[in-house]
Amino acid sequence: MRQNHTLNLREIVVMAFISAVFGVLYLVWIFLGQLVTGILGPVGGGLMAGFWIMAPIVCALIIQKPGVALFAELIAAGTEIMVGSVNAGSVLILGFTQGLGAELVFAMFRYRSFKLPVLMLAGMAGTAASFLTEFALYGYSQFAAGVVWFMLGTMLLSGLLLAGWGSHYLTWALEKTGVLHNFAIGRSNRQTKQERGAS
Amino acid sequence: MLEQYQQKDRFLQKVNPSLKLGAVLVIIIMMIPVFNPWTPLLLFGCTVIMIIALGGVSFRFLGLLLLPFLLFAFSFVWIQVVFPDERGNTILFTIGSLPVSLENVSTGVSLGMRALVFGSWSLLFVLTTEPSRFMLSLIQQCKLPPRFGYGMMAAYRFLPLFRDELRQIRTAHRIRGLGEKRGIGQLKRYFIPLMAGAIRKAERTAVAMESKGFDGSRNRTFYHRIHWNRYDAYFAGLLLLLLTTIWFVSSPWSA
Repeated sequence: MRQNHTLNLREIVVMAFISAVFGVLYLVWIFLGQLVTGILGPVGGGLMAGFWIMAPIVCALIIQKPGVALFAELIAAGTEIMVGSVNAGSVLILGFTQGLGAELVFAMFRYRSFKLPVLMLAGMAGTAASFLTEFALYGYSQFAAGVVWFMLGTMLLSGLLLAGWGSHYLTWALEKTGVLHNFAIGRSNRQTKQERGAS
Repeated sequence: MLEQYQQKDRFLQKVNPSLKLGAVLVIIIMMIPVFNPWTPLLLFGCTVIMIIALGGVSFRFLGLLLLPFLLFAFSFVWIQVVFPDERGNTILFTIGSLPVSLENVSTGVSLGMRALVFGSWSLLFVLTTEPSRFMLSLIQQCKLPPRFGYGMMAAYRFLPLFRDELRQIRTAHRIRGLGEKRGIGQLKRYFIPLMAGAIRKAERTAVAMESKGFDGSRNRTFYHRIHWNRYDAYFAGLLLLLLTTIWFVSSPWSA
């Protein structure tokens, strides 16, 4: 299957729409996250972290081209800022590093494999990147090492489950509705079905 | 709710959005090596005064927005007291068998205030910047490819429609007797139709953009042009002044 590797306008607009919806959901999630973090501390917040990596993984799985994960997360961050996030600055920095983390994993597989384990790895890379960013931004070096490691653990778990498995589940449910037939995910799905039918 | 502040004719509203966003990022990076409570406290105070005086935002509204941040900031204090990297020597009092030391409280307050500083600067940006001006400035000053800029703007304009659609989906579910249960388990029932609708709308929007001759090329003309103006120079000067003052005032504590 040969395909063009640059994004066309249709893909960009679809990516923007998906990420914008996620951007709004992120805002709701931030509010929840701050409540949970306030009560349980950063460890509890860690469990929520995976949700923020969903936009890049969903978009990357649908479009399957280089740069999609990074741009999707930046668009989601941009939407959060336009709608009025009370955390605009850190959201932008985090959006960049989270997107980059997920993007690197897809790049490692040369944008050819978008199976569940790859998505889970991308989710974990995304939360790991957001952990490193928060470590620097919010001064986690001042906390006991045990707590920080535990936090990293919960964030990785959250990346694996929420970002990896969650995005996989939702995107394939979305594929069944047929709206994604014109995109890479729909094309590859049809191709495997045809191959199975032929053999 | 935010528009009434974003469209005011005050100083901060006239500053170039890209410059303001740059200032937010500079502040965040400058705060990373600071671990004393006074520097962020001072900076937070100055920022609040700036938002009220130069942005025309009411004190009550600002306080309301910062309220959830206080809880978030407080989490840094208690977790620093309970799980510090190294426990301080100056014991203030003990809770049960847990000694609370001055050093830990001060670091906790510093980290909490840092979160508040980030929040206040983000509010400074969000409350004084119109979304479309922000996007145009990103395209015109920061050389964001117009394909992305206008794509984002289109998606942003569709957001209110999604809210209506969500209501519609909920009503449709009710007509079919699915009930109105809410919770994590019900998320998919709303998420899938909403996303499917969003993707269909996005495809139609893209076709419409292309048919109107929007090819996303860079050399295009703009109806609204965002220029650099003297307010940008004043703002940059103010920022420098603020940073140097804070640097000098707080240096005795930052040892």
